[in-house]
Amino acid sequence: MIPFARLLVRRIALLIALLATVFVVVDLLPGSTARAVLGRDATPERVAAKERELGLDRPLPERFWSWISGVLTGDFGSTARGRSINELLADKFPPTLLLGGLALVVTVVVSLVLGAWWAARQSLAPGVGVGPGAVTAGVVPARRGADTLRRSTAVIRQSTVRILQPATTVAAAIPEFVVATLLILVFALAAGWLPAVTITDRSGFPASPDMLILPVLALAIPQIGWNTRVVRAALVDAAQAPHVESTVLDGISARTVLVRHVLPFALPTIVASFATTVGMVLGGSLVVETIFNYPGLGAVLAGSVADRDVSVVASVVALSGAVIMCVLAVADGIRAWSLRGHG
Amino acid sequence: MGLNRRQLLQSSLGVGAVLLLAACSKDTDSSGPARRGGTLRVGALGTAARIERDPHANLSNDSDFLITSLVYDALTVPGADPNVAPRLATRWEPDVERRRWTFTLADGATFHDGTPVTSDDVVWSLRRLRTVGGASKMPVAVEDIAADGPNRVVLTVPEPNTQLPLLVRLMTFTVKKDTTDFTKAVGTGPFRLESYQGGNARLVRNERWHGEPPLLDAIEVTMFESATALGNAVLGGQIDLASNVGAIAGRTAEGRADLRVVRRADDTMLGVAMRASDGPFADARVRTAVRLGVDRNALVNQVHSGYGKVANDILGTGDPMYDKSIAQRTRDVDRARTLLREASFDTGRSYPLLTKAEAPGEVESAKVIATQLADIGVRLEVVTQDANAFYDQTWLKAPLYTVSWGTNDSTLFYANKLMSSGSNRNETDFKDAAFDAATAKALAAQSDSEYGQACRDVQRIQHERGGYLVWGMADGIDIASARVHDLPTLGGYARVQLERAWLAE
Repeated sequence: MIPFARLLVRRIALLIALLATVFVVVDLLPGSTARAVLGRDATPERVAAKERELGLDRPLPERFWSWISGVLTGDFGSTARGRSINELLADKFPPTLLLGGLALVVTVVVSLVLGAWWAARQSLAPGVGVGPGAVTAGVVPARRGADTLRRSTAVIRQSTVRILQPATTVAAAIPEFVVATLLILVFALAAGWLPAVTITDRSGFPASPDMLILPVLALAIPQIGWNTRVVRAALVDAAQAPHVESTVLDGISARTVLVRHVLPFALPTIVASFATTVGMVLGGSLVVETIFNYPGLGAVLAGSVADRDVSVVASVVALSGAVIMCVLAVADGIRAWSLRGHG
Repeated sequence: MGLNRRQLLQSSLGVGAVLLLAACSKDTDSSGPARRGGTLRVGALGTAARIERDPHANLSNDSDFLITSLVYDALTVPGADPNVAPRLATRWEPDVERRRWTFTLADGATFHDGTPVTSDDVVWSLRRLRTVGGASKMPVAVEDIAADGPNRVVLTVPEPNTQLPLLVRLMTFTVKKDTTDFTKAVGTGPFRLESYQGGNARLVRNERWHGEPPLLDAIEVTMFESATALGNAVLGGQIDLASNVGAIAGRTAEGRADLRVVRRADDTMLGVAMRASDGPFADARVRTAVRLGVDRNALVNQVHSGYGKVANDILGTGDPMYDKSIAQRTRDVDRARTLLREASFDTGRSYPLLTKAEAPGEVESAKVIATQLADIGVRLEVVTQDANAFYDQTWLKAPLYTVSWGTNDSTLFYANKLMSSGSNRNETDFKDAAFDAATAKALAAQSDSEYGQACRDVQRIQHERGGYLVWGMADGIDIASARVHDLPTLGGYARVQLERAWLAE
């Protein structure tokens, strides 16, 4: 428990340092918050008065201190336009959490299934060895002789693996905005099956569930590409462990070998990858929300950077940082659990 | 349209109703008998971080401005000819000097909660607008805004100003005296706020509106962060009207039978400001050379995607007073080179042309201009700045930068606000005694002929030696479902005047 607490303290310190950096960076950007609020026609006197009102004439460390001490009491302060940031976050964070959460769930499920399937099939299909582990004894070869039906369909599997290899690379490499644009073009504007943008109802959430499908896919597809490869590699690596070989030789079923002996060893890598994905999904939502007009935090962040509204930018970063920290803590927990007795 | 300038200036009794009808018939695309009912779903641009519900604060979101304009009434609104139409004020008269203007409020105007609108409410609102929004939104000082009886308001300015009715257009939203919480949005406008959530609003018809009641049952406004998403929404049929969605979406919608593209001429000016007081462009011959060096048709085609028209270095192209008799400047590379030589312009170095990605096509326009001007020997290096940094460091200061202005329907407005010596928004630092005199004359004009002559002088000087390169005007592009009728067709912020729109079955 002590190392875990130490890790947590270190991460909180890191987050505070990051927030201080955000303050400095936004402050270094040329342009004035007061003018952004008042518009281009504001006289220098009005701009100066607004700056005083917003406390922008105070030194940066002082402003950072007053903001962060507010945050510690649960008060994120107010925007340059005088709106409560707490209210803003309460308004905009839940939809982002919904979008990101769904994208994460889809990513986890699909990449686990695809990755496991790929790892298994790859080892089965002769001559398709790609990457480490493919050439060594895998999970399934023990059954190779016994299952002639599978052998006969090896060609199909082989070609599927051949598709998965480039498909996951492409999916991982294409940025969210390209995926989003393609999805809109194909499924909304050309086919007309799904709505192109999100329209919210009075609750601030999408007016109908089908408006979530394309944004979730746009966020999830690049992550699925990446995570499928990680899952596959982790499983193949874990399958090389000597004890797996011995269980295979013991004649234990492939499913049991996978679930009981391979997965626990591959889990730390897979979980770490999914934890990283949380950050990527939150980052990607900034772009995806704009393209789909999804009412979330991403749009708030973009507008606030343009306005040099440092308190809002830092608040969004703090909130995202806190979420990522929680996820990392969970990942650490899973890691500790799966390594119990080994580490 | 049978009204002349004198009638506009004096705005004699009863003219309000005539103007209102005229404005409606001229600015719309009537087709068939109008039908009552239906909900119009409108998309407008806006940013969550900039949401503003105070009608007197800086409304930088199109979506907020649209909602505000439907809920609240301004004293006057844009019209076609004349360019000022009545709204909460049905008529206005100046004194002989054109310093003291009396505005009469609409008969029977009430707030959405049923209480009648009094001059006290208007005075309080105008004073608050001055305090919160500053002189650019309310040109009259707090102490010079006064009530005159229950339904008249008197505005007094230190210098004669024939343009006061124009200057109180759009922004002068009237709220109930002493209101500071605008979440309920109790206005006097054609629609009542039914619900509001994060920049999106549902508005329902105000049956008691002092004007002709709207036909639509309701308007739903959805805020869009990007023009692309706004365009996709209307193309995908999720909204009925995409307000100010831009040329790219216009092109896409052009071939669709279920959509109509509304082109509102003289919507946005994209141009270049050349500093006239000092620096490399101080010599009027250099400025003329630059203006002769650009290919305006090519610019309109490339930058505005053809949705626009060439302009003649005069701001305010939509003004009924715009002088069409001044010859259109066209490209003349030889003459431009000669002028540069005569002015001893240093063609050996390059000059920064500062720009920002604010108005659509702004950065692109700078690049095209730089390419075109290379032909006359002026080498420009395009520097793109973030909009915020631009207004802090470049605007009003740099020798050469791009500018954009909307609502281009008054030459005198721009002359007074952007080019007269005393202006605090003198983008070209233009100081010209003859120009100032002509502007002052137009502002104090007591007769049609005097006003017309002064306006022509103002435009002639601007064309001859002003600091602006006004190469073209972009159309405002709205895309609407073919079911929507009687949408506004005027440029600029007139796009928010949706109270006459209706939906076919």
